[in-house]
Amino acid sequence: MFVFFPISSFQYQVSLPKYKINNMISIESSIILLKDVSKKYSTDNVVFSGIDLEIEKGEFVFLTGPSGAGKSTMLRILFCAERPTSGEVWVDGVTLSSLSNAQVPYLRRKIGVIFQDFKLLSNYTIFDNVALSLEVIGLGKKQAEQRVMQMLEGVGLAGKTSHYPLQLSGGEQQRVAIARAVVNRPSIILADEPTGNLDLQRTEEVIMLMEELNARGATIIFATHDDRLFENTHRRVIRLFNGRIRI
Amino acid sequence: MTLAILCRRAFSDLRQNFCAQLITTMVVSLSILIFAFFTLLYFNLQHFVDRFGAELGLVVFLSEDTPKDRIPSLYQKLTGLSEVEKVTYISSEEAFGRLEKFLKDEKEVLEGVDPRFLPPSFEIQVNRAMFQLKRIKQLAGEINKWPEVSKVQFGQEWIDRLYIFSGLVRTIVAITGLLLLFTAAFVVTNTIKLTVYARQEELKIIRLVGATNIFIQGPFLVEAFLQGLMGSSLALGVVFACFRFFQGIEAKSELLRGVNICFIPWQYTVAIIASSVLLCVLGTALAMRRSLRL
Repeated sequence: MFVFFPISSFQYQVSLPKYKINNMISIESSIILLKDVSKKYSTDNVVFSGIDLEIEKGEFVFLTGPSGAGKSTMLRILFCAERPTSGEVWVDGVTLSSLSNAQVPYLRRKIGVIFQDFKLLSNYTIFDNVALSLEVIGLGKKQAEQRVMQMLEGVGLAGKTSHYPLQLSGGEQQRVAIARAVVNRPSIILADEPTGNLDLQRTEEVIMLMEELNARGATIIFATHDDRLFENTHRRVIRLFNGRIRI
Repeated sequence: MTLAILCRRAFSDLRQNFCAQLITTMVVSLSILIFAFFTLLYFNLQHFVDRFGAELGLVVFLSEDTPKDRIPSLYQKLTGLSEVEKVTYISSEEAFGRLEKFLKDEKEVLEGVDPRFLPPSFEIQVNRAMFQLKRIKQLAGEINKWPEVSKVQFGQEWIDRLYIFSGLVRTIVAITGLLLLFTAAFVVTNTIKLTVYARQEELKIIRLVGATNIFIQGPFLVEAFLQGLMGSSLALGVVFACFRFFQGIEAKSELLRGVNICFIPWQYTVAIIASSVLLCVLGTALAMRRSLRL
């Protein structure tokens, strides 16, 4: 059983970014907005087309669909790892098409991303893996140390700060990945099959962590192909099927 | 991002990828070493040519009909020239004496010859600091126009030949240097490409958490700066050690005494180090272009 985040260590920012981007829109409650978004790699390889989607601030949604439905691609578009073929995407008031490559990192700092394969740096200690997100934003060493320790305590890994990822179990590694994704207090968390490699107990732990983060104000998009994770939930489920959304 | 974070990350990378960094530094060092040896050779040749030219000096032959009372005023005129360091008057008798000495046992051939058949002359030692072949040629031409002077002689042919040779060496050094710099740039760029390729996953993750290009590229550039600095310093250190070694040999050897070998001037040493650093930094920036895409 893991320990929940200490309340004092976790306050979400849901304000607009500090940097100036010309093409910003004012959306009262939407934090993510997709309008007529399509993504195709070639004429016969269309991932999805004509997608309209709105996600409100503080919402926790499940994004589901069979393998290859485009869940990961949609998330990759949201954190600017890919650009849509057509349509417009707004994230936290920012029009992604107007975002230059130099501005992308600043948007990414407002988005925490969690992956199925954890994507931890194997040559970094657990502490350094989590601290990376803070180092990137230039937080002072002392402040960063304090915040990383609080975060690792929150995910129940305070005793393993000097361990390396491969010395931890899958569940522990995913908790490190979650800690890294949320340590800089992003307003949006994108989880791409975060429980895909975990057993039932560890999956429950991750879901509880996500619930906890959502309760603190984070907007969460949880991509999974596992129906069991949301069958008894009141959360909105977005189904991607044949390149279209079915709600 | 602060410079402290950038340097901390660079040193951490240096520790983790020590072998790759060492190989790159050694490649840079070897390239600079070969180039520096050629440069050292060139500067010593140039130094030798200058010194040789200055030592040759000028010999001003006077006309046979030059009155003896004109000699002191000519002497004064010559010593007044800025290029001239020392002037020695050699009378016809003295010149004859020298010839006798030179002929040694065969001096009988001079029996019955008038001891004044050789023209009187002035031997001029040129000011080394002001030595320039072009200026010496000019000076010789000017003196030659004086009415009392019959001929001005200096080792022009020799100096010309040496200058052509030293020009050739300079061209060889320049071409070799360029080729070696290109080789070093190619190897550095490819070593960095391999390092970047090996760390692609790591860079992807760092980008994912919101790292800017300078955060990603910065440590690599710091590493490249250090590689260039250390590689070239090491090479120049080796060349300097060799120079001191040769200086020791020169001091002990009768044959080489007076050769006076010189080291690469400090301005060139600084230029070599700066070029090496620039080369490594540019090579790295070039190698990383692709990895900085989204």
